[in-house]
Amino acid sequence: MLLSFQSFSAQVDNSKTSTVKIYGNCGMCESAIEKAGNVKKVATVEWNKDSKIATLTYDSVKTNQDEILRRIALAGYDSEHFFAPDEAYAKLPACCHYERAKAATHKDEAMANSTINKPEAGMHDHSAMTSQDKNQLKAVYEGYFSLKDALIKSDGSAASAKAKDLLAAINAVKMETLKPEEHTVWMKVKEDVTTDAEHITETKEVSHQRDHFTTLSKNMYQLIKVSKNDAPVYYQHCPMYNDGKGADWLSKESAIKNPYYGSQMLSCGKTVETIN
Amino acid sequence: MNRSQRIYKSIVLTVIIALFAVHISYGQKVVRYHLYVKDTMVNFTGKEKRAIAVNGQIPMPTLTFTEGDTAEIYVHNEMKENTSLHWHGVFLPNQEDGVPYLTQMPIEPGETYIYRFPIIQHGTHWYHSHSGLQEQLGMYGSMILNKRANDPTFRKGIDDLPTVPVVLSEWTDYNPNNVERMLHNASDWFAIKKGATQSYSEAIKAGHFKTKVKNEWKRMLAMDVSDVYYDRFLMNGKNQSTLSQLKTGEKVRLRISNGGASTNFWLTYAGGKITVVANDGNDVEPVEVDRLLIAVSETYDLVVSIPAENTAYEFLATPEDRTKSASLYVGSGTKQLISPLPRLKYFEGMKMMNGMMKMNGDLDDMGMNMSLNQMDMNVVMYPEITGEANKKDKGASGDQDEHANHSMPSMEDQYNSNKLSDIVTLNYAMLQSPENTTLPEGPVRELRFELTGNMNRYVWSLDNKVVSEADKILIRKGENVRIIMYNNSMMRHPMHLHGHDFRVLNGKGKNAPLKNIIDIMPMETDTLEFNANVYGDWFFHCHILYHMMSGMGRVIGYENQPKNPLIKNPRSAQRKLFSDDRHFHFMAENDFATNGNDGMLMFQNTRWSLGTEWRLGYNDMHGYETETHIGRYIGKMQWLMPFIGFDWRYRKMGIDEQEENLFGQSNTKDNRTQFSLGVAYTLPMLLILETEVFHDGNVRVQLMREDIPVTKRARMALMINSDKEYMVGLRYILAKNIGLRAHYDSDMGFGVGMNLNY
Repeated sequence: MLLSFQSFSAQVDNSKTSTVKIYGNCGMCESAIEKAGNVKKVATVEWNKDSKIATLTYDSVKTNQDEILRRIALAGYDSEHFFAPDEAYAKLPACCHYERAKAATHKDEAMANSTINKPEAGMHDHSAMTSQDKNQLKAVYEGYFSLKDALIKSDGSAASAKAKDLLAAINAVKMETLKPEEHTVWMKVKEDVTTDAEHITETKEVSHQRDHFTTLSKNMYQLIKVSKNDAPVYYQHCPMYNDGKGADWLSKESAIKNPYYGSQMLSCGKTVETIN
Repeated sequence: MNRSQRIYKSIVLTVIIALFAVHISYGQKVVRYHLYVKDTMVNFTGKEKRAIAVNGQIPMPTLTFTEGDTAEIYVHNEMKENTSLHWHGVFLPNQEDGVPYLTQMPIEPGETYIYRFPIIQHGTHWYHSHSGLQEQLGMYGSMILNKRANDPTFRKGIDDLPTVPVVLSEWTDYNPNNVERMLHNASDWFAIKKGATQSYSEAIKAGHFKTKVKNEWKRMLAMDVSDVYYDRFLMNGKNQSTLSQLKTGEKVRLRISNGGASTNFWLTYAGGKITVVANDGNDVEPVEVDRLLIAVSETYDLVVSIPAENTAYEFLATPEDRTKSASLYVGSGTKQLISPLPRLKYFEGMKMMNGMMKMNGDLDDMGMNMSLNQMDMNVVMYPEITGEANKKDKGASGDQDEHANHSMPSMEDQYNSNKLSDIVTLNYAMLQSPENTTLPEGPVRELRFELTGNMNRYVWSLDNKVVSEADKILIRKGENVRIIMYNNSMMRHPMHLHGHDFRVLNGKGKNAPLKNIIDIMPMETDTLEFNANVYGDWFFHCHILYHMMSGMGRVIGYENQPKNPLIKNPRSAQRKLFSDDRHFHFMAENDFATNGNDGMLMFQNTRWSLGTEWRLGYNDMHGYETETHIGRYIGKMQWLMPFIGFDWRYRKMGIDEQEENLFGQSNTKDNRTQFSLGVAYTLPMLLILETEVFHDGNVRVQLMREDIPVTKRARMALMINSDKEYMVGLRYILAKNIGLRAHYDSDMGFGVGMNLNY
């Protein structure tokens, strides 16, 4: 016992120990928290996933508690002293999305700021879209457009998040309330768009997401053609994608912003059809 | 962070005098400060290093005045070297401007010097030493000029907010003189420390081999956005600090000055948008942004709020190279962090540089009229704007070419940060003065400058002339001077004019903003104008300390102006002023190897180079030889260097018995003393071609390249010449001054050894 204690303390000089609460859920959180906090020969972090209490052992000459907790917060984990950046929290795997202590209002605001086109007020509020006269596929289209915008920025994690919203919107569609022609197309494409959206959610690799976005866009085009739209939608084409086979997408703007190449080839492509 | 903040105050008495030596005599409205400048030891990193503290502190104390006051500042030089203080952005008589050998003689050790001038403006300014590299050692501080209470420009909701002066800076454990020397010697130690070597192996790993080859073909060294590696970044002298006196819902005005010697900072805030209310001490119409870049020596007044309770929001200053950062927490409670800026995509930057660099070293803006930081080529390196680096993109460059054929993307969109993303980044076109800033009627004088320089030799100049090579520019009192600047160099330069504010013609018409610094990016053209209204010799220069010291500036003076009584001997003063950029930098290297000693010694300045190389074997067979060259670099890019040389060699015929060279000329190899005339030229791929004619008529042609970056720390060297000599070497850099080297030399055979360099 004595031996083991000595060998442990030999790793960190001027050792000082403190305990602090760090928010987190699971075993994955544990390794992420400890990895972020540990610095060889300077700091060791041991976090208990049941008590949420971390024991910090560190060289008080070389570092301090705040430096360690700051690193852990930047990895996505709140503590008594630091709140993680919202982006860092959002990037955590789903199982690690612990309940945050900080005021929710701020979080929502930050989320709203991080979307490109400010979403319609009702987008996340699916119950608001059940009325007959409102086009209830609108949430699906908005989800699609947000996904496209994330791809324009070549932001894999944002695209994955947007695809999740899209998936929710797809599942919220009440088929029986659709107009007959919409209903027919919906029956035909629903399975495919769901699969594509799921695939996009599951990966953060933009190139893979773009592969699925090609078929997703084709199906969305069929759907939007029979739908009644408030504003014109532009069907646009990039001739180069996929070794020159080309690919299409839908946009609310006539200006070309290519989701298949992003900033690399932002304005490559042309509008092939305007759907009113 | 106590440990980094301990500044050792050796004499307690000084501290007591210093702490609050402000006397205000209301009758005359003279505001007096006493500043005690003293050598000190600081510990920012765990190592005790020399710095300069004023009144026992770094940064120097904040000086506060109100418009209408008279400033009286006593500078007590308690150091063993000269000093001076420049009041940055402040309108004052020329002899109070604080540029040694130009507006005054330096303040000698032990001397007390009084600066006295009326305060005739308001705004956020700062002050710093203008002597040598003292600014890097801690001589910077805030200078706040408040508006009078009855000022007609008083803005409710802005000018009545609580204010906090913040001065940004950086710290290096290296002696700044050594930093300067290393920059001039093109040492890549800073790049190694930053992880920005951009070697061939790293290029291959990132799928950018072609990019790297093209880069070297165009004779460029690894690119970076800043030159120096720093150990710490500081806000008011601290890396982390908290403004806990502020409450929820409150707004605070941060009066920020960038006192960094060579660091531009990104400013971001965790508590929402940042409102910009003033720049370089002049009010601007409030503009909301997500982030801004504050260039070296600029000032910005920013309003931020504290949106939620029991939370302190991180105000983050990130150096442009994104190696580290400094944080100020606004409010009290749990600290809400903001995402750090992601690492730069260096190879994307390299690709962008390749595209804009012509073979002759000029920049090609491809028809984009760039100005005012609106288009930022560097966005290609910012993952938050242009996405994460895609590893080994399947022939991305090939795709690009095909695309170019059918639909060229609009250039502007590719580099316009605000169009590419929803992050709003401030640029100069967004600044608007609340006042009409039109100049009074008068004749117009136009001055054009091309900003020039090259990274390889760290020479920075205007129109390829450094301060000591150019005449003073004369303007006439009363006329309006229009400056048109084009940046034809690869780095950005914050250009600063002393004693005047200029209007930046940015499309805001009569309300063009007033500034005294303009950060001009590569390939940008900016137009400035100011009314010549105060006599004197005013310095106009790049504010990156190491660029200024290498001569990037001009003196602007007035015709028929009265003599400056403080400069008693203008000729010797001018010589002293010019000595900054005429200064020679020393460099030495020796390889202690099993087969002999290989080394060199070099003294270089802006144009001249004096170098000696030696190869000393351990016996007569291997021989001993030295070569000395005195040369002058020609042209803007300094690729050409004619030289005269002196060679001496002694050896008994050794391993490689060559007596005839490639041209059939025999040479007296065994014992030779020769003078020579030659020329060295830097070819694409940074190969140096040296052609030399010796006084016996022999000709030697040599091709050489040292420091080919193979991996992060390994460098290869190649040499071959027409005397049928050759050498290959590989060096592994262990630390700043030490490396391991293995080489094969046709004279001396194979050797391994220890390489020491200075």
